[in-house]
Amino acid sequence: MAQVLIHPQETYTPEAANNGYMLEVSGLKKTYAKKQALENVTFALKPGTSFGFLGPNGAGKSTTMKILTGIVKADSGSAKLFGKDMMQEPDAVSKYIGYVPQEITLYEKLSAYDNLEFFGEAYGVRGKELKKRIQEVLVRTGLLERSKDIVSTFSGGMKRRINIAAALLHRPKLLILDEPTVGIDPQSRNHIFEMIRDLNREGVTIIYSTHYMEEVEALCDEVAIMDQGSIKAMGPLGQLLEQYGQKSIYLEVPGLTEPPQDSDVNAYHKEGSGWLLETERSSAVMQRLLRLASQHAWDVKQLEVVRPSLESVFLKVTGTALRD
Amino acid sequence: MKAMIIKELRLIGKDRRSFFFLLLMPILFIVMFGSVFNQSGSGASITLRTVDQDQSTASRALIGQMQGIMDIKQLPADSVNEQLDKIKQGQFTAMLVIPKGFEQSMKQGKPANIKLYQDPASQMETAPIQAILESISTQYRDQKQTGLLMASGETKTQAEAALASPIHIENVSASSDHFNMIDQVVPGMTVMFVFFIMITMARRFFEEKKTGLLSRIRTTRIKPLHYLIGMWFPFVLTVIAQCIILFAFGHFVYGLRLGDVAALSTVILSLSIAGTGIGLGLSFIVPGEGAAMVITQLISMGGAMLGGLWMPSYLLPQSVQTIGHFTPQFWAQHSLQDIIAHGAHFSDIWGSVLILLTFGLAGLAVALLRLPGFLRSAAN
Repeated sequence: MAQVLIHPQETYTPEAANNGYMLEVSGLKKTYAKKQALENVTFALKPGTSFGFLGPNGAGKSTTMKILTGIVKADSGSAKLFGKDMMQEPDAVSKYIGYVPQEITLYEKLSAYDNLEFFGEAYGVRGKELKKRIQEVLVRTGLLERSKDIVSTFSGGMKRRINIAAALLHRPKLLILDEPTVGIDPQSRNHIFEMIRDLNREGVTIIYSTHYMEEVEALCDEVAIMDQGSIKAMGPLGQLLEQYGQKSIYLEVPGLTEPPQDSDVNAYHKEGSGWLLETERSSAVMQRLLRLASQHAWDVKQLEVVRPSLESVFLKVTGTALRD
Repeated sequence: MKAMIIKELRLIGKDRRSFFFLLLMPILFIVMFGSVFNQSGSGASITLRTVDQDQSTASRALIGQMQGIMDIKQLPADSVNEQLDKIKQGQFTAMLVIPKGFEQSMKQGKPANIKLYQDPASQMETAPIQAILESISTQYRDQKQTGLLMASGETKTQAEAALASPIHIENVSASSDHFNMIDQVVPGMTVMFVFFIMITMARRFFEEKKTGLLSRIRTTRIKPLHYLIGMWFPFVLTVIAQCIILFAFGHFVYGLRLGDVAALSTVILSLSIAGTGIGLGLSFIVPGEGAAMVITQLISMGGAMLGGLWMPSYLLPQSVQTIGHFTPQFWAQHSLQDIIAHGAHFSDIWGSVLILLTFGLAGLAVALLRLPGFLRSAAN
């Protein structure tokens, strides 16, 4: 299946390597027991990007991340971080990468501090510097007071925060998070979002995998939509919404039993107490609706241009709804 | 690797199941076997119920003589029939009755009968009683003959010399002067439960794999070989600590002599390498935790039986003794007993040490061969 590649100013091609890109991934392929898990995955990231991988389970998001972290070997393709081949020189690039797996991978019988100490040392941080960084990440996660408590006594959200903290101790340049908010309460989710935004503001490049569209909208400035092992569309969030999102106008007038007819409206849907009018020419339609309202003295409760949703982008690009 | 070792030691320290299998169980077994063998080891453990119907000076003298050798329980003179019923019911195995007229017969120079009632189904238990009674009877005969010789004009020394046996049996211990069943039980139980570390090891490796921790560790700077050694070494230390605690328990509670401590330490080190090395290999070849549990029990219990951990090897059939030579348990027990009971030093046990190390290194080699596949399987 052909890929749709969109980029703000320039489309990435392997030939454009080192053109300011921090991470360059080209033609990744992976097959598990005759099942194609990845098919020609290509993308590139500039430093400081917050990049979202959006797709259903089995789309290939985790496999891509595992290849980037060296857990899984790709059948073919290449990945370079700061110009270094991630498959040939894993030791040279591992210090730049922090990986937060989908599962909570912590030693439940050990304290939060002991877990952080282990992962810090595993990433090569030692002594006083490690102690200082543990303190830092504990403050960042809001768990400083609970640092000596055994992880098994933590709530799901607290465990998720420590799970992320364990990947930050070596101050990675690229933080890869694979669905880091699965099964947690809204408060912990917001805390994690804030952590990720802060890290991104501090210059850490983020790759964030999720199947929640609202998370991508809240955190990412660039998005790749994945389905069935390949990237179906990719680019800045606004541009994707502009290009693929379904634009519409919402009109709510009490007693309006039929939607107003307009040649520029493609479809009408009843939504709540009003009508959703799908159109590519929202300004013109809006002007005509205002005239109609004035002519018929409608008591307009709501009239607004509705922002396109990622859900509609996903539907358009893949032909299926993300929640199917 | 240091991070791995510290983390693993902390986890082992918090693992109550391991504590139960590695320390509590062997201590319970040592206490249990220790009490059984300590009781059976003392002479007072042979009990003989006695009914004295004569109530004379001679009968009391006989009972006094027996009391020095056996535990004599005197029963009322009229309870013979009741006690016989108890023998038939299997409540005890033997009873001695000194009938009325015992002293009178002795004074008259007639044979003085005593009756030993015994359960024919318990000949093993009654044989020592019979032997003791025959020995006492012989002493009475010797006293009588000495008296007769002295009456015919010989001195007491001459009479005793004339009656002395031409054969004198001198007891010389071929091993040491202090071998007892504790020397069998403490090393036996220690060696047996050392191999239970394999369950803990397999469980830890499967947990690492199942929870995704192994995959995550692979994204860090820890190399696969460092991971393997970092996981293995804490278990070697655990087994060394286990052996030290169990031998210290045997030493302080049961007075077990430790012999050459340097040689003992060498065997403990090689035993810990053997047990954990096999555990390492096992963790990398079995398909799951359940299979590891079954194989561990097979190795631990089977090896314990064949290797002479439950009873001295020489008591086992020859074929079992031969098979036992292929178990690490045999070489560990053999060398430990050599040190404890036979006063062996390093020069005497280095062969066993080499064999134990070979078992451990074979397990390590299997683990090294299987490591890449194990890591790959953890990624999916």
